[in-house]
Amino acid sequence: MTQTVTQTMVKVRNVSKRYRKVNALADFDLDVPKGAIYGLIGPNVAGKTTLLRILAALLQPSTGQVWIDSEEIHASPSVIQRKVGYMPDFFGVYPDLTSAEYLEFYAGIHGIPHKKQAQTVTDLLELVDLSAKRDALVETLSRGMKQRLCLARALVHDPEVLLLDEPASGLDPRARVELRELLRTLQGMGKTVIISSHILLELAEMCTDVAIVQGGRLVVAGNVEQVSRRLSGGRQLEIRVLDRVPEVVAALKEQPTISNIINHEDTLILADFVGDDTALHHTLVTLITRGLPVISFAPRSSGGRLEEVFMSITEGNSQS
Amino acid sequence: MTFLALLTKELRLRLRRERTIWVVIAYIFLMGLLGWFYISRASMSNYGGYDIGQLGKQLYYLLSVVQLFLILFITPAFTATSVNGEKERQTFDLLLCSKLSAFSLVSGKLVAGLVNAFLLIAASIPLFSLVFFFGGVAPSQVLLGSLVFIITAIMVGTFGLLCSTFLARPAVSTAVTYLLSVLWVIAPVVVTYIILAVRNSNGSTQESLYVWNPVVALLSTYPDGSSFVVGSQHIPIWLTYSLISIVATIVFFFVSVYVVKPNPRLRSPRQPRTKATQPLTVS
Repeated sequence: MTQTVTQTMVKVRNVSKRYRKVNALADFDLDVPKGAIYGLIGPNVAGKTTLLRILAALLQPSTGQVWIDSEEIHASPSVIQRKVGYMPDFFGVYPDLTSAEYLEFYAGIHGIPHKKQAQTVTDLLELVDLSAKRDALVETLSRGMKQRLCLARALVHDPEVLLLDEPASGLDPRARVELRELLRTLQGMGKTVIISSHILLELAEMCTDVAIVQGGRLVVAGNVEQVSRRLSGGRQLEIRVLDRVPEVVAALKEQPTISNIINHEDTLILADFVGDDTALHHTLVTLITRGLPVISFAPRSSGGRLEEVFMSITEGNSQS
Repeated sequence: MTFLALLTKELRLRLRRERTIWVVIAYIFLMGLLGWFYISRASMSNYGGYDIGQLGKQLYYLLSVVQLFLILFITPAFTATSVNGEKERQTFDLLLCSKLSAFSLVSGKLVAGLVNAFLLIAASIPLFSLVFFFGGVAPSQVLLGSLVFIITAIMVGTFGLLCSTFLARPAVSTAVTYLLSVLWVIAPVVVTYIILAVRNSNGSTQESLYVWNPVVALLSTYPDGSSFVVGSQHIPIWLTYSLISIVATIVFFFVSVYVVKPNPRLRSPRQPRTKATQPLTVS
């Protein structure tokens, strides 16, 4: 059965994967828009790699279906080979080959005609800024270079969807910046990129959409800013007091507009706020009229708070 | 196309390793040393009165038996880690994501492994050509002997490949390949002794045990070599050996093809029993 979903490049429905007694994925649904850089965020063993391997058709889901560009992968297995490029969380290189030979090999086994292989390899090496290392043995490349070479390998057959499993893992800051720039270039080329990571701030910076995964389940999914705002109520309050922290916390908890108190230590309280500016004013008035020693009351932007949101969500789930 | 890409990559990787060169050098050195040692001993002990044709024949027997054992014990090293080596190197998944078919994968790995084995056989040709200098050996004998070498290399190589598809660890698959290869060679001898020890058996029962033995097959290519009697027909052992080995090779090959790529796309997933819980989706 093939379903068509407008502007959705990857569609996952009711996918579960069970390894003996362990549920790696449970009733997982996901819609990845075309052209998105989609971040899968989750702690270790959350099920990110399992999901990516299912999308790459390297694993068969216990239940459920997956569509790539409206084609169900079981009904059209060739769609995976044609439209999906997969980069696992390990290098998978042949150290005794040169960079060009390595890409040439993968071009060959992806069915690129021999005459076009040389040009494909040249273009890819240029894209990942490894032209100077064309004839260098793979074993002599740095970790960041190997990572870029592997990304070039995943692109060798010009796939529409790229699956990148922890691509920034183990890279130094400079290599991470280079990788981020490369992903932006790929986005500009119209590729849909699904990228898993536990480095949340990085994903927040480079992704258009995110899905937070915990214990094999999808906790939340959507646009980065919207997810952050939705989960945090759009804003976070940073309240500093002179003392009487427990009373302030108790007063905040009474407020229906406070969805969560993330942190309160010493004299600084962070609280998730749901509501408009009138409600914000009402909260401040409540604290002042009760005589609580507020010295600072500052709503913060939701931007850059993804990590905190992630921590609060996964912590809550792990406790439940 | 995909087969050629894999074969090119394999040959590049294998022939760039220093080990390949050293194996060829050691192989030729060992064979040459044995030949030189044999000739010098024969010359010293029979100085002036030795039948040079007999010397050539015995030299050929020695070198061919040694070559057979070297093929038996070197070929598995080229193929017994082919597939699980890719898994250990974490490149196997990347092959599965490509258009490389299971047939191309197995055949590419096999051919690349056998090229190394044939390289050794080819490198030994100059040594064998010395035998003709002494005489006593017909070219047809050498050709039949080479047939046994090649068929043995292909079959043992394919068996090593089969082990590398079944067993996850390269060291284990190599050990199992060697162990079973040794058993294959010596089992008829052991079984013969057991049969003789247990009961008086007729010759044909024991003879049938040797129809698929590489050493006996090689010996059968020599003049007055043994043959297997079926009714009134005398079938040379090298022929029965070759036919059985070809069948075994085909079986090993296709079992490897079946095992190497259990394509997950070919198995239908079960439909979910319960309705999915709706995740929080922000639009």
